[in-house]
Amino acid sequence: MELKSLLQILWIVGMLCQAVLAGVLLLRRAWKTFPFFSLYFSFSFAATVFIFAIQRHRELYLYSYWLQEAVGITLGFAVVYEVFQTLFGCHPALRKLAKAVFCGVLVVLACIGITVLIKRAPLGFASFTFAILTVEEVARIMELGLLMSLFILSTTFGLHWRQQVFGIALGLGLFLAVELIAVTVRAQIGKTGHDALNVVRVVAFNTSLLIWLGYLLSPERAESSVELPHRSQLEQWNQAVMELIRQ
Amino acid sequence: MITLIVIALALGAVGLFYMAVRSRKKQSRETVRPVDLKAFRTLLDRDDEMFLKGRLPRTRFARLKRQRVSVTMRYVGRIANNASIVMRMGEGARMNADPEIAQTAAQIIELASQVRLQCLMAFAKLSLEFAIPSLQFTPAMLAPEYQKLRENVARLGKLQSANLSPVRVAI
Repeated sequence: MELKSLLQILWIVGMLCQAVLAGVLLLRRAWKTFPFFSLYFSFSFAATVFIFAIQRHRELYLYSYWLQEAVGITLGFAVVYEVFQTLFGCHPALRKLAKAVFCGVLVVLACIGITVLIKRAPLGFASFTFAILTVEEVARIMELGLLMSLFILSTTFGLHWRQQVFGIALGLGLFLAVELIAVTVRAQIGKTGHDALNVVRVVAFNTSLLIWLGYLLSPERAESSVELPHRSQLEQWNQAVMELIRQ
Repeated sequence: MITLIVIALALGAVGLFYMAVRSRKKQSRETVRPVDLKAFRTLLDRDDEMFLKGRLPRTRFARLKRQRVSVTMRYVGRIANNASIVMRMGEGARMNADPEIAQTAAQIIELASQVRLQCLMAFAKLSLEFAIPSLQFTPAMLAPEYQKLRENVARLGKLQSANLSPVRVAI
């Protein structure tokens, strides 16, 4: 099968998944809990359908595609912020510190982004597409970096991810990681392998859709009753140290 | 070079997400582990340490201090783990229809968050002490904060049905 035909099939499969996810979001009234994610998804769904419909009109397709990417990236940042708010919402003691760390990470990522821009600029700013790809690469680095910092912070603070928030973050993270690789590679190799990269990107997006669907549909896991532990090695060590101290 | 770094970052992110999925599964099986606060306070007692420092040769004292610090770190690890579990359980209780239970749960979450922060501080201090045994950074706030958390969990246990009682006993 040709890559172009495969891409068309994957595109249609993706739209079907998006239609199902849209139904789930509507049924669950997800816009109340996750307004930015709902907006991000709705926009992405509408844009996919529109771009699919106009794919033969080359110029319109091109401008619509870049516009969709720009709005998608902006809304992606909003989703990351929403995940942050949901995760730290009920932990005011941690939120202050987490916010400071988050802002610090943002500054570091902005510096990395500027470095990437400077390093790439002399080579490729002659081409408009290359310039846009570089800007997109920088934006994706920042988005992914912020999301990674959220995962690291939640582990450090021992926070529990609720099912749906975790699904949203995981799906977005996976999509962003593949998107970052695709944009970076595409900026380097030009038009060669463009179709193959597009297949990878659409597969990644469809996988993210399945992750979102899976986590939004599965019920929140009930907390298992807390089991009392057996006396562990620690008590023995404690005993040994106490004896040593008493000596 | 930049391209390689960016690709490595993206692959690192995928690895991180995979680990997050695994740790989330593990988290649901985590259990509360009891902490002997009296023993923990003894381990943190710096008068004891001064006494040992005066009596023992330097190398022996350093060895003993490192042993003591590693046991203390295990205790801190337990406290951190328990605080994390209490936070998770408190989130469920916060949605309770009874405002008193919901309020106590909110207080517990707040306290548990503070305990987690104290644990991070304690880890940093203890790591420094492990590296340089002559240093003394007592994580003084941790034991009283944990005691407070314990009392609040006990209060919530009384307010709520029996399913929180095991935590009350265990932590």
